[in-house]
Amino acid sequence: MTTLKSKEHKNVFRYVMITVAMIAAATGVGWIFRMIGFPEANIVIVYLLSILMTARLTRGYIYGIAASVVATCAFNYFFTAPYYTLSVNDPSYLITFAIMTVTAFITSALTSKVKQNALEAQEKEAETSSLFQLTNRLTDAIDISDIASITTETISSIMNCRAACLCFDENGQPEQSFIQQQSAGKQVRRKVDDPSEIRHHIEGLRTAFDVGEEFYDWPIYGRETILGVLRIPRETAVSMSEAQKRLLRSMIESAALAMDRFRSAQEQQKFKEETEQERYRSNLLRAISHDLRTPLSGIMGTAEMLMDMTDRADPRYSLAQGIHKDADWLHSLVENILSLTRLQDGRLTITKQLEAAEEVIGGAVSHIMKRYPEYEIMVSVPEEVLIVPMDAKLIEQVLINLLDNAIKHTPPDREISVSASEDEHSAKFSVADRGCGIAVSDLPNIFQMFYTTRSGEADAQRGVGLGLTICEAIIKAHGGTIEGHNRTDGQGTEFIFTLPMEVSKHGEKK
Amino acid sequence: MEKRNEQILIVEDDLQIRNFICYSLKQEGFPYMTTGTAQGALSTLVSEQIDLMLLDLGLPDFDGMEVIKKVRDWSEMPIIVVSARDQDKEKAVALDSGADDYLTKPFSATELMARIRVALRHLHKAGGIRQQTSLAVGGLRIDFDKHLVYLDDAELHTTPMEYNLLALFFRNIGKVLTTTYIIREIYGVGYGTDTQALRTLMASLRRKIEKNPAKPRYILTEIGVGYRLSDE
Repeated sequence: MTTLKSKEHKNVFRYVMITVAMIAAATGVGWIFRMIGFPEANIVIVYLLSILMTARLTRGYIYGIAASVVATCAFNYFFTAPYYTLSVNDPSYLITFAIMTVTAFITSALTSKVKQNALEAQEKEAETSSLFQLTNRLTDAIDISDIASITTETISSIMNCRAACLCFDENGQPEQSFIQQQSAGKQVRRKVDDPSEIRHHIEGLRTAFDVGEEFYDWPIYGRETILGVLRIPRETAVSMSEAQKRLLRSMIESAALAMDRFRSAQEQQKFKEETEQERYRSNLLRAISHDLRTPLSGIMGTAEMLMDMTDRADPRYSLAQGIHKDADWLHSLVENILSLTRLQDGRLTITKQLEAAEEVIGGAVSHIMKRYPEYEIMVSVPEEVLIVPMDAKLIEQVLINLLDNAIKHTPPDREISVSASEDEHSAKFSVADRGCGIAVSDLPNIFQMFYTTRSGEADAQRGVGLGLTICEAIIKAHGGTIEGHNRTDGQGTEFIFTLPMEVSKHGEKK
Repeated sequence: MEKRNEQILIVEDDLQIRNFICYSLKQEGFPYMTTGTAQGALSTLVSEQIDLMLLDLGLPDFDGMEVIKKVRDWSEMPIIVVSARDQDKEKAVALDSGADDYLTKPFSATELMARIRVALRHLHKAGGIRQQTSLAVGGLRIDFDKHLVYLDDAELHTTPMEYNLLALFFRNIGKVLTTTYIIREIYGVGYGTDTQALRTLMASLRRKIEKNPAKPRYILTEIGVGYRLSDE
């Protein structure tokens, strides 16, 4: 600060000297002119020239104006009768003085103005070129933090300070650290003490910048979110001129544009990759489902024919039956894995339509009856038709899986029942059996993937351990609930699931 | 082994499935021909006397759907579609394009034979079906002239809508009718695809003709596709 003051003093001294020298020179030349005998008008012109030169060589209006007054006085003192006094004999000189003063005033003012304009133009040009330089460099940036780093560097060099930049991530949260310019060509990363505090300040901002202890923070606004914060050290920020602030705003805008462009390019890339992946996945799924199902159909059909050809007492009959059973098991495994893959991706589009609960139950029951003709399944539905928004095919799958489970754990002579009823805001489906029930130790795990009960007879049909997981995934996708428990009114298990009656927006395709 | 006259064309590209279908047809006494391509199917249909076609939708040369559309230009022969499980939408499209029935892989031979028998019975009645004044399925009988329905010989009161729906099924016994088709026939073309009205109508009809509407004997639901009047 002291050097700045002394520099200013020096300047004032220099300008005063220039003014004095100019007037002295003009007086000297005037003296010579009088000796030669030139008319006085020439001397006035010389004085005007000296004032013009003064205005040109000094800064501000003050020296020019001072020079005009001094020049008029000097002319009066040296060149008008009576000489060497400030009084005049001829009153017409007063007019000369007045015109001279006014002319000198205007000349010096005009000169100063031209100089001022030139200076501003220079500043503007510097602004434009630094902005251009910034944008130019920003196009080469490879990521967001690179953009931040380039911006920080450019702003630091122009403002002559140690600027910093804190980026926000895709979710609009400040990063843990920010970049700061340490010296020319050197940047450091500093930890942010309280990111949420900064975010809070910036989001609630009503002015152009936020005043902080160490930094003044300028937000970098993107099209949709805040992309980051540009931080100018307090001492620089306090003494910034309007022009500098304007330049800073333009630069921040350039940085925002670059960041936005980068973000959208990134999103586009991600979207493209996802589409590609999805196409690949669905192609794979289709191929698997087709390529596995077709031979399985062949195996099952052929085994069935073999069984048909053989006498039941023939040992070959049970061999063929074994093939059929295993192929059937494999088939249900394939189906289950396929549905689970689709469900767990969250990509399965649930197409809810208004369906009658009794039809879906009827479909599931007739499917099960075909596979297990020896079982009797009790069905009860409300007298008033129950219309529920659902994906009928998937809910049928849930019912089939639950019934399949019930049959696996229940002997044929015991009761298995399915029912549907309406609650306040949901439809309730129940599948209950009088089978062996669920072991208490198994209860918490029944919906887990690949979980099968350990207890069970040696010849019990193997479970895949996917059925209930699929049920849960389907019901969840519908926005419903599912639970299983042992019955309180005697032996057996009951599974209950609910479906919301309102057509919710979730996962729905119009 | 009884001898049947109806010749059946099997259009299926998988050899194993074809073999077992052939075997079961032979067991039932049906004469049959086989081909593995859509092109082959079309040329066989033109040159041979075929009464029923079993058609796999996923054929190597072009889509089985095209075969259905082409055949329907000149023939009313029963077409039973065989499809993989994922193709519910295709099933409905195939049925709407004129297929009579569909089977999902893997299917059992018993199931297949049952479907073939139903389709053939349908064939024998066809042509005369419009002239029939009365038709019966089990205990359910419809009288087209009098617009009356009888269940176990007792007259059943039906609303005009219920009668229309039932009449539509009786004109297509054993055939799977898609939801879209039924809505178009019952409510008209401009009605769109709102299923709720049809589901409600179906529920009220079932409460009149079925002992337990959730275990139907007459009108069976094909989830995701449509309905069928069973004549088993």
